[in-house]
Amino acid sequence: MKNLKLKAARAGRDLSQDDLAKICGVSRQTISAIEKGDYNPTINLCISICKALDKTLDELFWE
Amino acid sequence: MNILTSVPVAIGLIVGILLCIVLFKYANRDHKAKTDYDERQKNLRNNAYRYAFYTIVIYEAIMIILDMGSVSLPMEHFLLHFGAIIAGGIVQVGYSIWNDVYWGLNNDRKKYYIIFLVIFILNAIPIIGSLLRGGMIVDGKLSTPFLNVLCEILILAVIIELFIKSLVDRREDQEA
Repeated sequence: MKNLKLKAARAGRDLSQDDLAKICGVSRQTISAIEKGDYNPTINLCISICKALDKTLDELFWE
Repeated sequence: MNILTSVPVAIGLIVGILLCIVLFKYANRDHKAKTDYDERQKNLRNNAYRYAFYTIVIYEAIMIILDMGSVSLPMEHFLLHFGAIIAGGIVQVGYSIWNDVYWGLNNDRKKYYIIFLVIFILNAIPIIGSLLRGGMIVDGKLSTPFLNVLCEILILAVIIELFIKSLVDRREDQEA
């Protein structure tokens, strides 16, 4: 299932996938895979993404 | 292969491994010999290594069956075993490239392409030398320089797959 909330939050902060990937210390393809719903990140990566986008886990990863 | 030829090959392998460590340190942006991968990359690379392992097992099983059947292939035995390494390498690299996990987080791609070119040239020298001396076939069997041909096949497979993958990615980005 696509993670549109993550995509919207990233776009809302005017960050590209590459920018977010660099902040979180992962590859651009990993951010792309999470947004497309092709990869379920670990809780550690979820927390990194939430911190980078100033959001909570509920806001980005809870259905 | 006798001791006179196996010692230089062994020295060549050790020098090659040391050269690779130096080149990787140069090619990684943080100058570490080890490439860093993120969690998704590590997961998928595990699959790549698994498929490479299966490839080598199947390859060697075929070689054992051929050997038991006294089927003689027109190449030296050590080349057949080296072929297993190359086959496994091609599978590992191919799976990694097609799943976007070939490049690590600290790799400088331009420097890696330079390394590929250097390795390609270094492997081409013995091939050209042997062709000038009359070919790679000694006593009706492919001999030592064919090691370099197998290395060239691996490098070409990497370069061609990276090129095709970049074209596919470009097309997908345009469609998105």
